Amino acid sequence: MKFLCLACDRAMDLETTAASDGGAMSIVYACAGCGRRMAMVTNAGETQMVRSLGVQIGHEEFGGGPMGTLRGALVQGRPLAAAGREPTWTEAAERRLAAAPPFVQGMVRRLYNDWAREQGIDVITPQVMNAARDALGMTEM
Amino acid sequence: VTTGSSVLEQLRAQRGALEARLSGVRAIVAVTSGKGGVGKTAVSANLAAALAADGAAVGALDADLNGQSLALALGVRGQRLRLDEGAVRPAAGVADIRVMSLDLLMGAEGAPLTWDHPGGLAADTYAWRGMLEASALRELAADTAWGELDVLVLDLPPGTDRFDAVARILPRLDAVVMVTVPSAMSLLVVRRAIHAVREAGCPIAGLVENMAGLRCGQCGALTPLWGSTEGTGAMAAELGVPLWGRVPFDPDLAEAGDSGRPLVLTHPQAEASRVFASIAADLRAFLAAGA
Repeated sequence: MKFLCLACDRAMDLETTAASDGGAMSIVYACAGCGRRMAMVTNAGETQMVRSLGVQIGHEEFGGGPMGTLRGALVQGRPLAAAGREPTWTEAAERRLAAAPPFVQGMVRRLYNDWAREQGIDVITPQVMNAARDALGMTEM
Repeated sequence: VTTGSSVLEQLRAQRGALEARLSGVRAIVAVTSGKGGVGKTAVSANLAAALAADGAAVGALDADLNGQSLALALGVRGQRLRLDEGAVRPAAGVADIRVMSLDLLMGAEGAPLTWDHPGGLAADTYAWRGMLEASALRELAADTAWGELDVLVLDLPPGTDRFDAVARILPRLDAVVMVTVPSAMSLLVVRRAIHAVREAGCPIAGLVENMAGLRCGQCGALTPLWGSTEGTGAMAAELGVPLWGRVPFDPDLAEAGDSGRPLVLTHPQAEASRVFASIAADLRAFLAAGA
């Protein structure tokens, strides 16, 4: 969306963007040549339509980050966890993991790693695996 | 200083980001039907697992935003997604399948998919919901750190219109696997879906007949679950679509799906698993021929 200052024959600059709680939005443009200013006002429906495309309107900041549109629009979303250092596994823990069917080992390792990170645990031992199993309600492993 | 919002440029940038993200994916395969309830998710999960068991690096994307079930079928429900260098790391499924589903981003158990919107727009949801869900699907594909994949399997929602939306969002579809059951009602819809896929310019690789019958444990006979056993083959021949396999109904298949461990991994010698393995081989050959 652009606006042209007819007097100066030049594109106006986007100056400010402001959203209301009701979903309306005002976007102010100014001409750098003559200083003339004008505002475009969208209603809630128009704002929602454009936001649904996952694009940013003017200088507004919404969503943001990976899957920002999706996460910002979900009514009952689940937050993402920040990346953290992978815990290390003791030999005994590795042996116990190796006893699981090969096709689930990667998934099980991930579950233990995630749980350990959330607990601030850096080393996974069989005891940590027991605690995770109890906390996560896992009947196997 | 900017002169405007440049919506078109932003949309082009989104497309570019999606293309870049999927550049490490050798083949994108859509599993679709047009008809609901024919077992697309079971086919998707077992196809992905069969490919992974054969050594392929496999990703699986649940494109059915309102009926997410692939996370359950591949054993990743409850895993918490993590940010990883500007992208979301996919959940680690069985056989190291990298899984992304909206199910993993949903909060309350059992809550329907509901999108936030300004007050007063509830009655007009129909006007923007489709656009928002298209954006959500694009983000699920574009913002997931897939890495290098041999195959990305997409489990599509029912409805021929949904296929068209997915096909237009993605930069390419390398193969489409159609799924039906041998009922006249399903074949009626799937026939239309085959035409819709072709009109979208996407390559139909093969057709899978799911729930092809119930194998008697005593005599070994295959009892049809629907009256006719000829309809699928006749339609496939008429439309020139290879019929890749007939998957018999198997209670273990449903149980395996519910437990998050696809049948091809838990019961590799089961008849249905052997059919899935054969379908996976046909898909590999199709992709190799097109490479």
